[in-house]
Amino acid sequence: MKKIIPFIVLFQFCFFAVLAQQGSNMPALDKSPADISYYPFNYPVLKIQDKITEPLVARVIYSRPKKEGRTIFGGLVEYGKLWRMGANEATEIEFFKHVKINGKKISKGRYTLYGIVNENMWTLIVNKETDTWGSFKYDSKKDVIRIDVPVQKLTEPQESLVMFFEKSTTGINLVIAWDMVKVALPVNF
Amino acid sequence: MKKVGWLVGLILVCFSFSCSHTKKEEPSTKVISTKDSSPVSTQEPVTNPYAAVDVSPMDMSYFPVDYPKLKMSHTTTIPPLARVVYSRPHLQGRKLFHGVLKYGEPWRLGANEATELQLYKSAVIQNKKIPAGRYILYCIPIENTWTIVINSNIDSWGLTQDSTKDIARFEVPVKTTSARLEFFTMIFEKTETGADLLMAWDNIETRLPFTF
Repeated sequence: MKKIIPFIVLFQFCFFAVLAQQGSNMPALDKSPADISYYPFNYPVLKIQDKITEPLVARVIYSRPKKEGRTIFGGLVEYGKLWRMGANEATEIEFFKHVKINGKKISKGRYTLYGIVNENMWTLIVNKETDTWGSFKYDSKKDVIRIDVPVQKLTEPQESLVMFFEKSTTGINLVIAWDMVKVALPVNF
Repeated sequence: MKKVGWLVGLILVCFSFSCSHTKKEEPSTKVISTKDSSPVSTQEPVTNPYAAVDVSPMDMSYFPVDYPKLKMSHTTTIPPLARVVYSRPHLQGRKLFHGVLKYGEPWRLGANEATELQLYKSAVIQNKKIPAGRYILYCIPIENTWTIVINSNIDSWGLTQDSTKDIARFEVPVKTTSARLEFFTMIFEKTETGADLLMAWDNIETRLPFTF
């Protein structure tokens, strides 16, 4: 019994150290924290600096899961299955003006973004059902547009899922990148 | 056997130590930062060529609480009432007053982009009706009372405020708690007439009451 005492004392010490860190019933920081991206890039900063040269077009609010050594596409995210393209709350895309995706007019407003990933091509889905969790209540009747986009390979792995807008010749692209791939959702206006 | 006991204990100590360091964040690439979002401790090297995960990660809170989960599980059919989208700075060894914040100086109630309040339907706060819509929030903290400001300058960076776009200002009392919160936290708490928006950080918490 004596032999085991140091073990018990240290175990208790560790246990209370862990408890002390939690210490509260407030919600903890998400493992996949949310983030926001605007077009124009860094619009909120430009706004307070009076440096806005073009009007607000779009923003995306999404959670950023990490790779953490896992194979993401074809592994964690199965090919051919619906994916929430983020974590936690469904990924939200908002257009501040009417835009076109794949030739179809998309009215300004808030939408949810989903994807179906495959090795060489992703289907990106803009859906009208907002304020929902993940892709668990996905209803294809509420799809606004679906578009197939090619997968581009990255040379370096991307640890955290990332989304951002970049200018294109006909509007903007929403670039979505994680692990070794990236795709772009073309938005025209 | 005695040696084994000590060895196991030591392994456990190391394990608990490493647990406390599992939530490392990469430094922010956003162009403006200040005390409420600047990294203090040594950070991991930037490995993300597009947009590093922010040192003050964003989060959102809905009312009804966890609305998206309720929607997913088909336990609600009505629209949500409110949501905040905010960034979560952390203390990193500092004190809130006067380490991160100072009395009398406006604070964005978060970090990075201005904290956003979305009302899906109109609400009443301290007898004032706030129409449905998107707003930003900031506060002016003093020792026992915080002034919470609802402002219409949406999609702005939180570092400076344009008070000409204030919609309403509310004074709310401050409570000191025994527990300390590492990360700034905003959640809605259900009340008899609506919800309180709880804002808590370090050993300070304050509530803005909404009636729906």
